[in-house]
Amino acid sequence: MSSKQLNMVQAINSTLDMHMKEDDSIILLGEDIGKDGGVFRVTEGLQAKYGSDRVIDTPLVELGIVGMAIGMALSGLKPVPEIQFQDFIFTAFDQIVNQAAKMRYRSGGEYNVPMVLRTPYGGGIRGGLYHSQSGEAYFAHTAGLTVLSPSNPYDAKGLLTSAMKSKDPIIFLEPKRLYRSIKSDVPDEKYSIPIGKAALVHEGSKMTFVTYGSMVPTVVNTVTKHSIDADVIDLRTIMPYDGETILNSVKKTGKVIIVHEAPRTLGMGAEISAFIGERAVDYLMAPILRVCGPDIPFPYKLEEYYMPNEGRILKAINRVQEFR
Amino acid sequence: MDEKEMFVKAYKAMALSRALDRKIVMAQRQGRVGFYTPTIGQEALQIGLSMALEKEDIVYQYYRDVPFMLHRGVPPETIIDQIMGNSSDIEKGRQMPSHFSSKKHNFMSIQSPVATNLPPATGAAYAIKYRKKNDIVVTTFGDGSTSTPDFHAAMNLAAVFDLPVVFLCENNKWAISLPVEKQTKVEIWKKADAYGMRGLKVDGNDLFTMYETSKKEVERVRKEKKPVLIEAVSYRIGPHSTSDDPNKYRTAEITDGSEKDPITIAEKKMIEHNYLTAEEIEKIKSDAKENIEKIFEEREKLPPPSPDTMFTDIYEKNNWIIDEEKEEIL
Repeated sequence: MSSKQLNMVQAINSTLDMHMKEDDSIILLGEDIGKDGGVFRVTEGLQAKYGSDRVIDTPLVELGIVGMAIGMALSGLKPVPEIQFQDFIFTAFDQIVNQAAKMRYRSGGEYNVPMVLRTPYGGGIRGGLYHSQSGEAYFAHTAGLTVLSPSNPYDAKGLLTSAMKSKDPIIFLEPKRLYRSIKSDVPDEKYSIPIGKAALVHEGSKMTFVTYGSMVPTVVNTVTKHSIDADVIDLRTIMPYDGETILNSVKKTGKVIIVHEAPRTLGMGAEISAFIGERAVDYLMAPILRVCGPDIPFPYKLEEYYMPNEGRILKAINRVQEFR
Repeated sequence: MDEKEMFVKAYKAMALSRALDRKIVMAQRQGRVGFYTPTIGQEALQIGLSMALEKEDIVYQYYRDVPFMLHRGVPPETIIDQIMGNSSDIEKGRQMPSHFSSKKHNFMSIQSPVATNLPPATGAAYAIKYRKKNDIVVTTFGDGSTSTPDFHAAMNLAAVFDLPVVFLCENNKWAISLPVEKQTKVEIWKKADAYGMRGLKVDGNDLFTMYETSKKEVERVRKEKKPVLIEAVSYRIGPHSTSDDPNKYRTAEITDGSEKDPITIAEKKMIEHNYLTAEEIEKIKSDAKENIEKIFEEREKLPPPSPDTMFTDIYEKNNWIIDEEKEEIL
């Protein structure tokens, strides 16, 4: 079995390429994705290979990109719209929430929208308020959507392959700060990572970390560096999240720290914490803690204070360790 | 089908639609129907366009298009089942009345937020063009929709990508309480020019004019693979919905059955062209009324959908969260 060391940009690019080669119903559309290859170069070279009618440079209109993709999906194509930055998605929110997400339900199952909406999210590139947001909770809160976020190049390929097979709309959130910062061994052949299944990326017995996307390397590095005896769960699928894997770990460790970059209040951490409280309160030996972005807009110059880091994670570790 | 047969079929659909509307509005007042958006006054423009279409053409319609659906072959039973939200409803009783769907007849499922059907219509047209098919897409909307960002986005995309889309603006002059003069400073058809698209205005109250215009425009869109904006001017004879009282904000310009009513206009022309006699027209109307009465009584007896249908069709397959919630509630 051959494989290559790829970063996440290369992994997503080669996965799109692999699927487009096999299936001419796949259409990519978005701003600057064709000739320019996308502002992060994720779609580099694909227009030259597949033509401008399959890799479409669209006018600057997010709601139009998503709306058009929905119509394509309803007419038998498999659109992969790109929203250049997740921060720009809000004019398309109506199309996502009221059209894509509800189409199957409201038509009694007659219509469905197989669309994979890709968008880079999160901080770490000094993008300020409008190139840094983590809006996963908005999408996770909408019935009909499936929300995925890979934390490494290997998962990016496997999750994207599952997304491409889905008959329903997928929100594929790409942690932009991991685009080029890590490489992994990515097999050349096709494989998929099932939707709804988390990965146990570090194993231990004294506490459980639940995290996903951009925060996974930060958590794993902290745990490894300080030899913390902890499970680290990478959700991979934000909605529907893998409740079973979370519970199994919590029942073993009795202590939970949830880490995400999005603001704390009503973020995924709130949901996961409530879920654990409902099902495993008897097993808990410490309060469930959240290490998250604060409830403020995302700042430009001071972004390293915004994003959860080793220091803040260690503080949470120390606090749960006080409970015995 | 010759011209005469075509127009007789069209007139019958108009009469059937009017009978259905009157019945549903009445039933709503009697507490037998929850809600409805009457289509009275917009029959001619919808059916005139429908006459020019092929079966394979796709329609992204809005919530005031019952005449269009009936003319294209959606059975009145299907319409009434949706309004009742009964166990035979395609949508399993999930949507408010007037939000129809029929894949079999190439009608898209209808949403409430206005104009959000327009951008998807461009995507459907893109798929047609990509697959080198000869079909076209029609999308319909009211005058109020022309103020939305979705209208702008869709018009621009259809023009930029040369897509076979007929944008049919059903200008009934009122968006709930706002008159069209307060909706926009320019005539709607003129907006097409700003997008590099053909635009025109037509008398939407005249079935014959509407058909002639639609025929030419549909042919052009199909052949040239380029969009058009048709502003069909009519009048919303009824209220916005059964929850609305137009007496609060306007004096009726056209009333049901009056001289300017598109059905009255159509009847005159049908007689002039020797397509129908006055007696035949009366018979069509009374048959339509009787037919609708019968169907309504029959469909009203159908039970609501079974509760477990509430928890299907969210995804292709339910996730564990939905399964748990279903178990808790049912």
